[in-house]
Amino acid sequence: MHRDEIPPGTLYLLILKTLARAGEMHGYEIANSIQRISDDVLQVEEGSLYPALQRMLIKGWVKAKWGTTAGNRRARYYQLTASGRKQLEMELSQFERVIGAITRVIQTA
Amino acid sequence: MDWLSELVRRLWMLVRRRQFDADLEEEVRLHLELREQEQIQAGLSPKEARQATSRRFGNATLLKEKSHMAWGWEWWESFLQDTAYGSRAMLRSPALTIIALLSLALGIGANTAIFGLLDAVMLRALPVKDPAQLVLLGKGMSSGITDDFARTQLYSYPFYRQMQRENQVFSDTTAIFSMTNGVHGFVEGRTESEPMNVQLVSGTYFGTLGVSTMMGRTLNESDDNSEGDHPVAVISYAWWKRSLARDPNVLNRTLKLGVTTYNIVGVAPPEFFGTKVGEAPDMWVPLSMVKEVPPNFGGYKDNFSESLLIMGRLKPRVSIIEATANVNLLYRQILLGFPDAKLSQENLQKLDKTKVPLTPMATGLSSLRRQFSEPLQILMGVVALVLLIACANIANLLLARSTARARELAVRQALGARRTRIIRQLLTESLVLALAGGALGIALASVANRVLLRMVSGGLDPIPLDVSIDTRLLLFTVAVTIATALIFGTVPAFRATRLQLTDTLKAGRGPQGASGKNPLAKALVISQVALSLVLMVGAGLFLRSLVNLNNVDTGFNKENVLRLDIDSSSAGYKADEPRALAVDQQIEERVNALPNVKAASFSAFTFHEGSWSSDIVVPGMKTDENINIIHNVVGVGYLDTMQIPLLAGRNFTASDTSTSQHVAIISAHTAKTFFPGGNPIGRHYGVGSNKPEDDVTIIGIVKDVKFDELTEEPVALDYLPYPQRPWGFGDFEVRYTGDFAPVAAAVQQTIHSIDRNLPITQVTTLDAQVGRSITNQRLVAQLSAFFGLLAVFLSCIGIYGVMSYVVTRRTNEIGIRMALGAGRSKMLWMVVREILILISIGIVIGVPVTLAGDRLVSNMLFGLTPTDPVTLVGATLLLLIVAAIAGYLPARRASLVDPMVALRYE
Repeated sequence: MHRDEIPPGTLYLLILKTLARAGEMHGYEIANSIQRISDDVLQVEEGSLYPALQRMLIKGWVKAKWGTTAGNRRARYYQLTASGRKQLEMELSQFERVIGAITRVIQTA
Repeated sequence: MDWLSELVRRLWMLVRRRQFDADLEEEVRLHLELREQEQIQAGLSPKEARQATSRRFGNATLLKEKSHMAWGWEWWESFLQDTAYGSRAMLRSPALTIIALLSLALGIGANTAIFGLLDAVMLRALPVKDPAQLVLLGKGMSSGITDDFARTQLYSYPFYRQMQRENQVFSDTTAIFSMTNGVHGFVEGRTESEPMNVQLVSGTYFGTLGVSTMMGRTLNESDDNSEGDHPVAVISYAWWKRSLARDPNVLNRTLKLGVTTYNIVGVAPPEFFGTKVGEAPDMWVPLSMVKEVPPNFGGYKDNFSESLLIMGRLKPRVSIIEATANVNLLYRQILLGFPDAKLSQENLQKLDKTKVPLTPMATGLSSLRRQFSEPLQILMGVVALVLLIACANIANLLLARSTARARELAVRQALGARRTRIIRQLLTESLVLALAGGALGIALASVANRVLLRMVSGGLDPIPLDVSIDTRLLLFTVAVTIATALIFGTVPAFRATRLQLTDTLKAGRGPQGASGKNPLAKALVISQVALSLVLMVGAGLFLRSLVNLNNVDTGFNKENVLRLDIDSSSAGYKADEPRALAVDQQIEERVNALPNVKAASFSAFTFHEGSWSSDIVVPGMKTDENINIIHNVVGVGYLDTMQIPLLAGRNFTASDTSTSQHVAIISAHTAKTFFPGGNPIGRHYGVGSNKPEDDVTIIGIVKDVKFDELTEEPVALDYLPYPQRPWGFGDFEVRYTGDFAPVAAAVQQTIHSIDRNLPITQVTTLDAQVGRSITNQRLVAQLSAFFGLLAVFLSCIGIYGVMSYVVTRRTNEIGIRMALGAGRSKMLWMVVREILILISIGIVIGVPVTLAGDRLVSNMLFGLTPTDPVTLVGATLLLLIVAAIAGYLPARRASLVDPMVALRYE
């Protein structure tokens, strides 16, 4: 099955949105969630989630705490912070502006 | 505040980075295991599941590293790593490290010490409020008392008051007496007098400076509103500590200066030393007491007793140009308005031409600065060059070492280390070396600047200057250290990483490696030689100037003369009292009678002690010519004591008394200038005026003497006997034979047997007094000689190091040559020739640099020109010989190579 690479720069947006919807998730769940919701079209190179999450921790968009999974394993759960929510709004509006512009260019042709 | 909380998170990560790494590890492991399980449940074999998982996850190690690096601390971690590695590498080659550290410590220490002194003398701002707003009327180049019309250096008290009242540009104005009064006063309840330096200031002094006291009150306007009845003093912190042992009850204590008792009303803060850099008064007393504080100068109400410096604080938004305009307008008005102004034609012309400059006072006043700014700048240049030479040395050592490490670096680059990473590592190693050297340098400087201060003080009590290591000095040293590391570290680092990888890896000692060609190292040696030559010639010039100064004919015989100061005004004598005259004559007589004393006399001055000068009135000469001459008031035995030869006429005798005809002896230059043609003996002139009481008759002519400086041209001078012109004496001279110490003790005992309250200070020889006048020349000569030798020594280490290295690299070439029949002497010559070529190139480059550089110091030279051939040739030869010796040792080793060993080595 062919899967599309996600457009560069949108990984933060995807993670932020996913966390906003789900509230609290660990890395594996985030990866699965993105794939599932995109009907398996968007393929995240799963490992690259982790550097991104570290950078988001530094920026203070997400916070993390350790918890237990359903299978009784220790896992780090990520959660959106207030500034993460603000960032999500900003990234969303920026994304829509770009997509809108691209769409207009394509349709005019 | 986002960045702040981000910084906190990053720092937290730095502290807990092991925990963070472990967390990440666990998180990734969980992810991989869950995915694998999922794949197995989807029907894959465990092996396929693992492969698929790994494919979907990507390069786990790389991603973990990326996550770790996201926190931005890898530079710090690699810095720590490099530092540890660098320190270990330094410890592995201790000889190299010790040489490098020593040269750095000397170089950086010397720079820190000289800069510390330069900063204290020239750059540091006064410890007062907004020092940049302070300006001085005039240039502050004079001190003393004058009645000269329209002078802009010194001002009278009435002038200060009018200026203070009428100006529109200063928010505050203060006047400072241009001299400190060296009094021998009494702390209440003590019977021994002690020296106290009293600074007379206007009541506005502390207010203008914005300085408050640590204890008690400052002086204020009401201490300075009527003459003679405000006996109060603010004492300095240092004096409070030294003389009163920090007595907390100090405000209830009193002092006796002369005949008046003063209340201590305040203690100044510790950092406040006054307004003159290099002079720290013990106490400040209001100018209203100017007549009461010994030596009782007076002139509080005299419009033309000009003895004050005036300082103002500019109002906000007033420029120095506006202030100058206002001050000059008032200057003219005030002078013309004084009823006793002598408004002769010449004085009015003089006033028209006079302009008062305003001088910024942010760094305070200083006569020290005038004397030492040039020597200190020269020395700063010298030590900077020494540090450069040291840098070149270390760069050379590092070059040699990095060549030895070529394989290590090549392997690392081949394994994928980036070049920038390796350069950074090498630079970090240099920085570690430099920082260690810098730390040693600071330790050295803290000792050296005390020594320097003692040298600058010229054998007297140390000048009160704060030369301790402060934050400013530390910053300077850190800056110098880092610059040093960059200078000596950069080139070797870049060179070491610029490699033909394959060649280096293949052989390590391939044909390229063995050629011994190392142009960079040789360039460094050449520049060392050139710089050393500059320093050697400079040192030679200064030393020869010093010798010339010591050989100057002073006109008097400076050997075997004791001189001391007697502070008779502090003991209550007034110059014009008959009992003062009697005591002076008694002292002269009794000392004269001592064994081993040949002659003794009081005088107003000897040499380099300031002067008293005035116009003279010569009958038949026009009065508007320059007729100012220097007077020395002396005892009958002065010419004999000083052994100034009498050229014509007679010497003073005991019969020249206050009632006999007033007489003078003039110097040869005075005779030639003012009494040309005919015999001056028997002629008359007026000292300061043409009034009968100022008229003197010339009775003798003596040889010209140096009066203030060894370098001065002959000056017009006369000698007046003190019975005819009373003088509150300071100077007493004794010509003696035999040892100094017993004579000095006997003389002091004799003086105290006449009046035990007479304070005696500055007991020294005339020779030392003369020597003190060339303190700065001696300072520059001694230090530049020291640093010149240091430079040569460092260069020799450089030459030795490079040549040893070259010889080692060429061992097998030498072996082959010798196996083919070349003799030992030929080998020796081959290497020596190479050294000589290097040194010669260095000298050829150095000579024009030297000639250009030494022109900058021509002011400091005496009796020779900057292009003095003797010095130039001497320095060149010395450098050539020393450098050749440094190069000969490795050359000899080359000639002793056993061809078999050398070839087997291959």
